[in-house]
Amino acid sequence: MSGMWSLASTLLVLGLAAPALGHHVGSYTPRDNEVSANFKQLKFSIQAGRFDVARRLYDTGALRRELQAQSARLPAGLDEDIRAALQRGDGREAERGFMVFFVALVRDLALEADRQVSDPATAVQARAAAGRKFLDAIWRYYNLIDFALSQRDPKASADMRLAFDEAEGYLKPGPAPALDRVRQPLQQMARILTDVIQASSSSARRES
Amino acid sequence: MTARPETWRLPAMWVLLVGVLLIASAEVGGAAMARFKLELARGVRAAMLARPDAHGLVGVRDVDEQIIDEAIVKFDAGLRLFHLHGEGMGVVILVATMVAATLVHSAALRRVIIGFVTVGGAGYPAGYLVWSALIPYYGIERGKTVAEWLIWIPFGGAAIIAMWLLTAVVAARMVGR
Repeated sequence: MSGMWSLASTLLVLGLAAPALGHHVGSYTPRDNEVSANFKQLKFSIQAGRFDVARRLYDTGALRRELQAQSARLPAGLDEDIRAALQRGDGREAERGFMVFFVALVRDLALEADRQVSDPATAVQARAAAGRKFLDAIWRYYNLIDFALSQRDPKASADMRLAFDEAEGYLKPGPAPALDRVRQPLQQMARILTDVIQASSSSARRES
Repeated sequence: MTARPETWRLPAMWVLLVGVLLIASAEVGGAAMARFKLELARGVRAAMLARPDAHGLVGVRDVDEQIIDEAIVKFDAGLRLFHLHGEGMGVVILVATMVAATLVHSAALRRVIIGFVTVGGAGYPAGYLVWSALIPYYGIERGKTVAEWLIWIPFGGAAIIAMWLLTAVVAARMVGR
C-alpha cells in the first residue's frame, strides 16, 4: 500500500513539475537585410511616382553598392540601365533591372547550395541543414521579385516555384534527407534563372 | 475556518536576502543589457564567426547573416527574460516564503516549501543567463537544451512543486484542517 502511495506521490510531483518544460524563449521573425530593405523603399517610391526619391535611394543605397560589388557576375551595364530608367521615370524598366539583380543573386545561391549539399566531406545532416538555410535565403530574395518575374515570364516563375517546392520537400528535417535528389531542382533553379537573365538582357538590348 | 494569524511572519534572513538580491541582479542585468547592447551584439557575432560549424554557417553572407541575426535576437531575448524573470521570481520568493512562514505549521513541510521556492525561484531566471551565454558558443538549440536540463527543469520544477504544496496548505487551512 505504501508503495502505491509512493508511486502516486512521485507521479503527482512529476505531473506538477511538468510545466517547467514549457518555459518560453521568445520568437524570431526574419528581418530584411539592408539590400532587401533598400529594394522595398525603391519599389514603393517608384509605385508612388516619386522618381526623384527613387534616384536618391538608389544612388546612396545598399542595393547599388551590392550590385556594383557583384558586377562581374551580372549583365554588363545593369547599373547604368537602372540609373537611366530612374532618370527618365521608366518604372517598368527600373523594375526589370532590379529583377535581374535579384535573379542573379538567387541563381548564385542555388549554385552554391548545389555545391555544398553535394560535398562528401561534410556530414549528411550538416549538408541538409545547410541546404535548408540556402533555401531560406533563396526564398527571401526570390519572393521580392516573383511578381515582377511572373508578369514578364509566367512559365519561368511557375517552374521556379515548382523547383523550390521540390527542393524543400527533399530537405525536410528527418533521418534521411534526399541529398542526391535535391541537386536536380537546385540545378534547375539555376538554369531557369540563367535563362531569365539572358532573356531579360537581350530584350533590354532590343528595346534600347 | 481556522483563525488567521494576526501578523505576517518572516522567513530566515538568507531567504529574504536571496529574494532582494535576485531583484537587484535583474535590475543590474537590465541596465547592463541596454548599456552594452552594441558591444554584446559584436561579441556574439565574433564568437559565432570563430565557430562556424557550431552554428551551421555556410560561408555565404546572404545565408549566414540571417543565422547570426537570429542568434543575436535570441541572445538579447535571453537577457531580457532573465531581467523579467529575476524581478518576478524575486517578488515570488519574498511573498511565497512569507505565506509559508506564516501559514504552514509543520516545520518540516515549511522548510521544504521555503527551500524549494527560494532555491528554485532564484535558480530558474539564471537559466536564461546561461542560455544567452551558451548561444555564441553552442548555438540556439544546443544552448537551450543545456539550460533546460541543467537549470530550467530542476529549478523551475522545484519552484512549481513548492507553490502547489503551498496552495494545498492554504486550501487546507481554509477548510479548517
